[in-house]
Amino acid sequence: MNGMTVQIAGLRKTFGQVQALDGLDLSVAPGEVHGFLGPNGAGKSTALRIILGLLRPDSGTVRVFGADPWRDAVALHRRLAYVPGDVELWPRLTGGEVIDLFLNLRSREAGSSKNRLRRDELIDRFELDPHKKTRTYSKGNRQKVALIAALAADVDLLLLDEPTSGLDPLMEVVFQQIIAETTTEGRSVLLSSHILAQVEALSDRISIIRAGRTVESGSLEELRHMTRTTIEVETQRPLTELAQLPGVHDLHLKPSGGCARTVIEVDADHLDEVMLHLAPLGVRSLTAHPPTLEQLLIRYYGASGESEEPGEEPLGEPSER
Amino acid sequence: MSAELQTPQKYRGLSAKRLTGTHALLRALIRLDRLRLPLWVLGIGAMSFYVANAVQAIVSDERELVQMASIFADPVGRLMTGPAFGMDEPTFARFYAAGYVLFIYLLTALMSIFTVVRHTRAEEQAGRAELLRANVLGRHASLTAALLLVMLANLLAAGLVLAGALSGGFPLPGSILVAGSGAAVGFFFAAAAAVAAQLTESSRSASALAGGILGASYLIRMVGDLGAPGGTALSWFSPLGWSQQTAPYVEDQWWPLILPLLFGGMGLVLAFALNSRRDLGAGLLPPRAGSARAPAWLSTALGISAHTLLGMLRGWGAALILSGALFGSYAQTMVETAADLPEQFRRVFTGESVMLGFLAYISIFLAILVAAAGVSGVRLLRGEELSGRAELMLSAPLSRTRWLCAHVLVLLTGLSLILILLGLATATAAAMVLEEESGARFRDVALASLHQAPAVLAVLGIVVAAFGWAPRLVGVLGWSLIGYAAFMTNFGRLLELPEILHRFNIFGYLAQYPVEPVEWAPVVLLSGLGVLGIILGLTGWRHRQINRN
Repeated sequence: MNGMTVQIAGLRKTFGQVQALDGLDLSVAPGEVHGFLGPNGAGKSTALRIILGLLRPDSGTVRVFGADPWRDAVALHRRLAYVPGDVELWPRLTGGEVIDLFLNLRSREAGSSKNRLRRDELIDRFELDPHKKTRTYSKGNRQKVALIAALAADVDLLLLDEPTSGLDPLMEVVFQQIIAETTTEGRSVLLSSHILAQVEALSDRISIIRAGRTVESGSLEELRHMTRTTIEVETQRPLTELAQLPGVHDLHLKPSGGCARTVIEVDADHLDEVMLHLAPLGVRSLTAHPPTLEQLLIRYYGASGESEEPGEEPLGEPSER
Repeated sequence: MSAELQTPQKYRGLSAKRLTGTHALLRALIRLDRLRLPLWVLGIGAMSFYVANAVQAIVSDERELVQMASIFADPVGRLMTGPAFGMDEPTFARFYAAGYVLFIYLLTALMSIFTVVRHTRAEEQAGRAELLRANVLGRHASLTAALLLVMLANLLAAGLVLAGALSGGFPLPGSILVAGSGAAVGFFFAAAAAVAAQLTESSRSASALAGGILGASYLIRMVGDLGAPGGTALSWFSPLGWSQQTAPYVEDQWWPLILPLLFGGMGLVLAFALNSRRDLGAGLLPPRAGSARAPAWLSTALGISAHTLLGMLRGWGAALILSGALFGSYAQTMVETAADLPEQFRRVFTGESVMLGFLAYISIFLAILVAAAGVSGVRLLRGEELSGRAELMLSAPLSRTRWLCAHVLVLLTGLSLILILLGLATATAAAMVLEEESGARFRDVALASLHQAPAVLAVLGIVVAAFGWAPRLVGVLGWSLIGYAAFMTNFGRLLELPEILHRFNIFGYLAQYPVEPVEWAPVVLLSGLGVLGIILGLTGWRHRQINRN
């Protein structure tokens, strides 16, 4: 399987009437953080649970470290750790006990000083009180317990299903720092999320999934390449004629003081011509920014009115559970 | 505007405001329960209709009626069904009241407990109560609406019970009393459940607490009624006993119903007082801090299985071992009453020695409850799966086989231990009171309990198989098996039901040791069924997907 950590092709899964996955393709390379992006109900959790061997795919291939997760679950789970999006713990155990439980299940060396150090450091950084019974934890704290248990484990792959839901912004920052550190140690991370900023900040590559199907996959740069750059330019007079140029979209004007501001969106392969056109027009200021993932998503989910599949509601997929 | 809101006049309406939204909520609850509650109510009513008419179909003439009536009047009969008023001059109506009305009361109590817990603590635990309370809804609205709903259901059920009794041509005053007593039981246990829902943080513990009160009521009544016809002072310590002490169709006493109304009312006051004090979602006992490190034993598949199952096993075990000792202590009483028993009575207990028959019956009765503990254990496993905790465990390098084997092993060990200790407790108590051959009886009784192990194993096997292949059916199938076995063991022979119906009673296959010698064929068969079921369950569990709700 040419060395991919996770390799999925043509994956399908139905629950009764609901088609949760409909030809999903996904590959995670060793040492990369792969962002797995899609709206609620797109099939992200289903895909992760298939990768874990908890669900059996209807068709398609799944390989994790080259093995079949349904058949070799136990061997594979020695090399990976999982954080579910909705963490339920044993209410009468403390957070510290749950973390130890998972570390001990995973490895016999869990008691070693190196592992203990790592565990205690993570508890410290996430500011978790390990003495409290988990029934008294908020959702965010339960999430921290699962995160610490997964991050402290000595594994090659982290499967994180919306791992920071319920965490406050400060903890989100801590989480991003720790993920950045882990990848320098050569671990792969599959990070499912609908929080665009998080994926953008952490991921090397991204797969966008919609209605159970991969609609786009590549590095952030590759995805941006296919999309439009937003240019905001300030000139003495309005530049309405820009709209005639090929590759220019959504021109609109913003009055500001004595000058005119024009905002346009330009296809990447037409940037050249637009810039050449602008140069002689007395540009006072110009800002250009690459598309945010919001813009990517809106294009793929059709909210801009230019979707490939008109008539569908944006972000309105049926829930899979 | 805001200044006006803070004036004292506004605060005077506080108690009314605590009920704001009760009406709308009650309507919502009626809609939510539009299928479940009518089924309960109709079931209770149908029971009354069926029994009121069936007793007259089974018993053909007066002579037979007198004979049948003595079954209820004798100690073991009273143990099973109640104080047996008026059995010296039996009528069909008295027969109905003495033998069967207790089960109407039991169903009513269960309906009340489940309904109240479902609409209070369960809603809070799921976080839906929070969503509701964020709207314009008073602090007491949920509790009030749930209690109103349950009393509505109890009154409807009482109406149907009355109609059922009247359809049998029974006298009106006694029939009203039977129906009213049922509603009083319902009221008392609704109040008990309301208090339990305040005290505990999970709906399961709330149901268990209120169910425990019901179980204790049943047990106290059993022992109280065993003492003498018409019950003894001990019967008056049981909420079920209160309703039976009204002696419908015999003395027609209304005043014992003051007790459930009084204590139920006190329960309601307590529940509302607790509800005003505590935080939403919290119980009353403050959570304590624990260790930040897990002990080594916990961090294994067996350790976590024990953590999940031990509380349940401890609760059932303590109650059953205590019951065993209690029943065992009646062995000598049985020897003394053995002389004057009718023919049909002996049919239930198969054999000449009533005492041995009694002990055989007790060992089956308690073994059915041990199997019930097994069903409730497998339901806990299903809970682990649905909550996602099983998924989390399985995401570690722990195979499904080991996960399920560990849980089944803990369950098997626990249930075996309960059976053994239960047998020893019954045997010790019996040996202490018996005047003759107490040594031999000690061995007999201790073995009688152990002899039921294959039937318990068979029930566990069937439920584990269901967990592997049809997990949704675990609860329904398990509780049906238990309920059916309990019903057939108690009433199968009395109601002269067709033989085919006995074949579905798992507890009907074993020889009735110590009355009959042990037969090995059913022992091997039932054990085989149990082991096969567990293996099937493991196979299914390995091949099916893990569910979450």
